[in-house]
Amino acid sequence: MMRTDVRFALLNLIPAVLYAGFIIMSFTMMGGPTAAAWWLACSLGAGLWLATGILRTVALRRNWFALGAGALLARLTASVVVGAFVVQFAVRVVIETADMLGFYRLPPSDTYGVREAVVYAVQVALILWLWVAAWAGWHLLRHRRQSEMARLRAESQSNALELDALRARLNPHFVFNALNNVRALINEEPGRAREVVTRLSNILRHALEHSQRESASLGEELAVVDDYLAVESVHYEERLKVHRDIARDALDAQLPPMLLQLLVENAIKHGIARTPGGGELGVSAWRLQGKLAIEVSNPGRVEHSGRGHGVGLAYLRARLAREPGSDFHLQQNGPRVLARLEIAQ
Amino acid sequence: MSAPLRTLAPKVQPMKVLIVDDTRLARQELRTLLAELADVECVGEADDVPAAQAAIEALQPDLVLLDIQMPSGTGFDVLEGLDHAPLVVFTTAYDHYAVQAFEANALDYLVKPVVPERLGAAIDRARVRRAATEPVDTDPRGLLGLDDQVFLRDGERCWFVALHEVSRIVVDGNYARVWFRDEKAMLARSLSALEARLDPALFFRANRNTLVNLRMVKNIDLAVGEGYDLTLKDGSTVEVSRRQARELRERLAL
Repeated sequence: MMRTDVRFALLNLIPAVLYAGFIIMSFTMMGGPTAAAWWLACSLGAGLWLATGILRTVALRRNWFALGAGALLARLTASVVVGAFVVQFAVRVVIETADMLGFYRLPPSDTYGVREAVVYAVQVALILWLWVAAWAGWHLLRHRRQSEMARLRAESQSNALELDALRARLNPHFVFNALNNVRALINEEPGRAREVVTRLSNILRHALEHSQRESASLGEELAVVDDYLAVESVHYEERLKVHRDIARDALDAQLPPMLLQLLVENAIKHGIARTPGGGELGVSAWRLQGKLAIEVSNPGRVEHSGRGHGVGLAYLRARLAREPGSDFHLQQNGPRVLARLEIAQ
Repeated sequence: MSAPLRTLAPKVQPMKVLIVDDTRLARQELRTLLAELADVECVGEADDVPAAQAAIEALQPDLVLLDIQMPSGTGFDVLEGLDHAPLVVFTTAYDHYAVQAFEANALDYLVKPVVPERLGAAIDRARVRRAATEPVDTDPRGLLGLDDQVFLRDGERCWFVALHEVSRIVVDGNYARVWFRDEKAMLARSLSALEARLDPALFFRANRNTLVNLRMVKNIDLAVGEGYDLTLKDGSTVEVSRRQARELRERLAL
């Protein structure tokens, strides 16, 4: 039993006691409660308390609130009718048993037959209906609010994932550094500044437009990487040297967009930027037994827990999970780090 | 000698600013921005951690504009290697969360591209702070004054701590553990190296392991043997060894 069940059982005593009190009151107005009236009131109160408790448990276990409005209404009505007859019958049994055991004497006017059973049951049904309407109404409201919250939570989660993916494609550190460099270049070398703005626009456009595409040719991806490297060489100047080795027949091979740039970005961020004096970034690609093989290398060491390292590679791995026959690994190769990507064609 | 000169001088002393950034264009950009500000002098540039540390020691700038990511380390590494932390404004393209590791005390950061007004405001704040700590100036013996600040780091958290906030410094292996405010942090230096830079009138070597800020002493009790027990304002107690007890008596007699 859970805490909410205990809380419900206690709260549910209130309508039961109120109902019993109402019965005693009506007897008081008719000339004072007798012992029989007390028995009747208490057993009806207890019956109502038990019946509603059982109804709630069944409704929740069977998940009635997930059903349509009609099915829910039919089930609630049926339970009220059945519950009313059972309760009034149980109450009658209690009263007659108590009479037999000699706790009190039923008044001689008392009769019990089918007509009385139906009249009493209708009375109990009315009370049960009031109760069910209040409880189900309150429950429906809460159920609706909870499912609304679950929906919002799921939505914000998927937004966060999308944002992560966008950040992986559009590294803000890179963008703001580039803008800062452009501002300095405007004074120093305006022609170069204009060129960097063009390159930067290409990169931004590509990142925004290609996010939905499933695949791009290596040639297209290399064009973005060229733009990217042009902007980065303004930042790193003589610290960034690039060695490219691309097989001509690999240019039309297909791969998921942004992955190559992600690898190049990582090579700069974790290799060139962290090496005093910089170094050489290598990019090579070729066709290999029905696959496209790409290698990106940089000076440095493979780190496993570096901050920020995770997001990009996690995105890459998640993306590759949707590419059958693809493979990726990152390895230490002497003083250099080598990232190797294979994509089935 | 220098104090009366300063009060007579008609103009404010220019702020001596050092630029530390691994990108030449970023340094150039900051130079351009600084040139537009009055009473600011760019005294130099550095492009990596060791160069920055050397430049700070040699040029004694009033303020350092400090990049966070550099090839051989971070701006925090620069500060950690210094006996005496200068006033610092961090500059960063995006990862300002790194700067938020700092406890609230007086730390500025600027995001690149730097907004000129923001830079001006940061320089003004640094000017106010410089004025507040002015009287200490440079000690002829190269000792640190009570208002001089040190940079402390403990995992992800960082602090600038003025020496008068330090209650005691305790040996911990090759490092020193510094107790200040209600915190403690490691300093990557030996106790004797630290002691050499601290004014003996302020910090007292109570025993082999501990330096105590004399202004933080609340109570002195006679201990068993010939030593003393010092009770500090933070509630901790420090034993004064027999050898140092005489020294302490002499110090207090003064």
